[in-house]
Amino acid sequence: MSLLDTRERKRASPTPPPAAAHPGLGRRIRAAKWSYLYLAPMAVLLLAFVVYPIFASFGYTFYRWNGIGAPGNYVGLANFRQILGDSIFWGAVEHTFVYAFVLVPVQLLLALALALVLNNPKLKFALFFRTVYFIPVVTSAAVVGVVIQLMLANFGDSAGSLLAKTGMTNGHIDWLGDPHTALAVIIAIGIWHTLGYNLVYFLAGLQTIPAELYEAAKLDGCGPVQSFFRITIPMLRQVGVVIVVLAFIGSFQVFDLVQVLTGGGPYFATEVVNTYIYHLAFGGSAGAAAQPDIGLASAASFLYGLLLIVFSALQVLALRGISRRRAAADR
Amino acid sequence: MTSSNVSRRGLLRTAALGAGTLALGGGLSACGSGSPSSAADALTYWDWYVTQAPWVDKEIELFEKGHSGVSVKKTTQQNAKYPDLVALANRSGNPPDVFMIPQVPSVAEQVAKGWLHPLDEWATPAWQSRFPEGTFLEGANVFDGKVYSAPLKGSGPQLQLYIHHGVFKSAGLTNPDGSVKIPRTWDEVTSAAQTITKKSGGKSYGFGFGNADGIGVLAWWLDLFVRGAGAPGGAPTVPGTGMDYRVGKWTFGTDRAYADFLELFVEWKKRGFFHPNSVSLSDEAARAFFERGKFGMTVGGVWNQPEWTQHKFTDYSLVTLPSPTATPKGFYYADPVGNGTFAAVSAKSKKAHEGFQWLDALTSPAAGRRWVEDLNGVSAHPTDNDPDGIDSKPFAAFIGMTEQVLRGPVPLVRNPELAGVAPGVPKPDIGDVVTGVYTGQIKDVQGALSSLADKKFQLLSDAVAAVAKQGKKVSTSDYVFADWDPTKPYTTKKKA
Repeated sequence: MSLLDTRERKRASPTPPPAAAHPGLGRRIRAAKWSYLYLAPMAVLLLAFVVYPIFASFGYTFYRWNGIGAPGNYVGLANFRQILGDSIFWGAVEHTFVYAFVLVPVQLLLALALALVLNNPKLKFALFFRTVYFIPVVTSAAVVGVVIQLMLANFGDSAGSLLAKTGMTNGHIDWLGDPHTALAVIIAIGIWHTLGYNLVYFLAGLQTIPAELYEAAKLDGCGPVQSFFRITIPMLRQVGVVIVVLAFIGSFQVFDLVQVLTGGGPYFATEVVNTYIYHLAFGGSAGAAAQPDIGLASAASFLYGLLLIVFSALQVLALRGISRRRAAADR
Repeated sequence: MTSSNVSRRGLLRTAALGAGTLALGGGLSACGSGSPSSAADALTYWDWYVTQAPWVDKEIELFEKGHSGVSVKKTTQQNAKYPDLVALANRSGNPPDVFMIPQVPSVAEQVAKGWLHPLDEWATPAWQSRFPEGTFLEGANVFDGKVYSAPLKGSGPQLQLYIHHGVFKSAGLTNPDGSVKIPRTWDEVTSAAQTITKKSGGKSYGFGFGNADGIGVLAWWLDLFVRGAGAPGGAPTVPGTGMDYRVGKWTFGTDRAYADFLELFVEWKKRGFFHPNSVSLSDEAARAFFERGKFGMTVGGVWNQPEWTQHKFTDYSLVTLPSPTATPKGFYYADPVGNGTFAAVSAKSKKAHEGFQWLDALTSPAAGRRWVEDLNGVSAHPTDNDPDGIDSKPFAAFIGMTEQVLRGPVPLVRNPELAGVAPGVPKPDIGDVVTGVYTGQIKDVQGALSSLADKKFQLLSDAVAAVAKQGKKVSTSDYVFADWDPTKPYTTKKKA
């Protein structure tokens, strides 16, 4: 097509009116009405069970309220003050961040390494191995927690005593009852439990890399290590960002494993923010912990929400900074 | 009223109706009494009794035989959710005719909310006289002179040290006649634990417990050991209790019995007397471990016994109040407040008369005797608590211990207006602190105990101030009984 042809065509077709270039909201909704209709059930449920409770619970942050009857004991900002001054809350924040910042890097490295192995077309029984690694993901965290708790503590000859007998540990270790080991054990179980997710993401990412790139690199004399760093890693960058974000989101929501394995103990050594909020809101099974306080729990969850917003903003800024630096380097 | 309030209320009502429907469904399927055709007319009854269910079912059967035309539909609700379910049922206007009184909100609040039916038309003075003196107490189960409930249970020693005969015998801890040498003092307990741990070669330990459930098991140990040492408040975790009434305060930081015992407790741990998985074991698992002889001693209540009896394990003894000296300086004290609020008739019930008949049957001396015979605990009627005729030797021993429970001060008797005082609970509470000390996370034991005692008193003071603000004449001095001798029964005098 020549340049003249293009000019003539432009002249022939009048400039479209602005309305047509940027159709109004009503027209856009009408045009995509089926999409909105399909989205509607999810949107309604999201509004009812996620958005509404967030705003409704904000009102509770100003009350001392055990959840029965209407909240009546107005305390203003006292709940926020109490949470901010509670060393157990800050301990729970610390444990949650330790959980996330240890679990995510270790898990991603393991998942990537396994994905590279399982992506090898020469590997026999690859499908079987993928299934094996994915099984923990589809198993409920509560079930995983109960079984592992049984193995570590409740069986007659628990893992602790077996390791001591074989001389692998210097005496019997109460893995979940020792404040020095309990959080590490939970992190290790967390890594194992959700490894399959990231493995699948990485496998999907690896399978989008054209084989021609590796063939070309091989012809150019690249070894496997060079191919990995020059082709695999750059090509996985996009999916990698998504995996990191999802892994952090999942880690900051850790609850079920901790609740089942240790209940946040011993003496708050494994308390994470979600178990802290849960214990405030619903109390424990007996005694002192049986006094729920929805107001305090709401205040704690709001403060944690704010913390996560700050963390997310920092994450976005950091990613943007990295992208800018990379773009500048590419130029 | 905002629209959001309306919608929230609507949602709760719907949830309550759902819960009610499920509960009714559960009741219909779970209940063994009454025919399906009579289900709609049946008297509905809610409780949270699981291990005591055989006793309840037997009482239903006997009640239905004695009251033709009246059937009882029992629904056993989940213990942890029970207060929510009762609250939802009341808010939806569809509560059961008779229900065990939930612990939250307080009985005073439940009466104020109009949940409970006053029993005065049936609970005549003659009826009341079948219970021991002091059973009906203004602020506990009587409000504005109207009776709302009656007791099923009496007071026994809340906790005991259980002793495994097999483990003791294997360690050679026997008397010349071959019987097991029962330790009664702190030193004897220490010595027994040391012998077991040393002689078993790693097969058994002196002590064990299961602290994983978050129910404050370690506070039980402190409670059992410090009472006999002269700290009559012990270490309970129930809000507003556990104070030393001689001073009207929690004395964790000032009574040396607490720090002394915790020092000994940590010493026991350092010397390897405890089963090493104790902190992460569940209470349930610890019970099974004790049964299998994994450790020789554990602390628990009478609730341990039904399960062991079911497993045919009765080769154990129990002692209460092991003390530094041979004679205890403090005891367990009867709980007329907690015991007096067992079950109530709903204010909304259309079968209130039948409801009272059912409550009457449940709290009768005959039912109380069956309660004891079925190994559930102590009856409210002292005549029921006769160890003779009880097959289980350990349970008979427990029933025999009721004489060691003394009458103590009851602030509510002195000032019924204290009924509205509901102090909060500090976090960490005593169970957490003992766990922290045991695991080595708390180094400054004395500081932690003093800080906790101060926090508890501050919470009580705040709660008292809140009630005083409503125009009630209450004060923290209402909790002080300076003339009380913890080794003798005490009769609380009413405020002049």
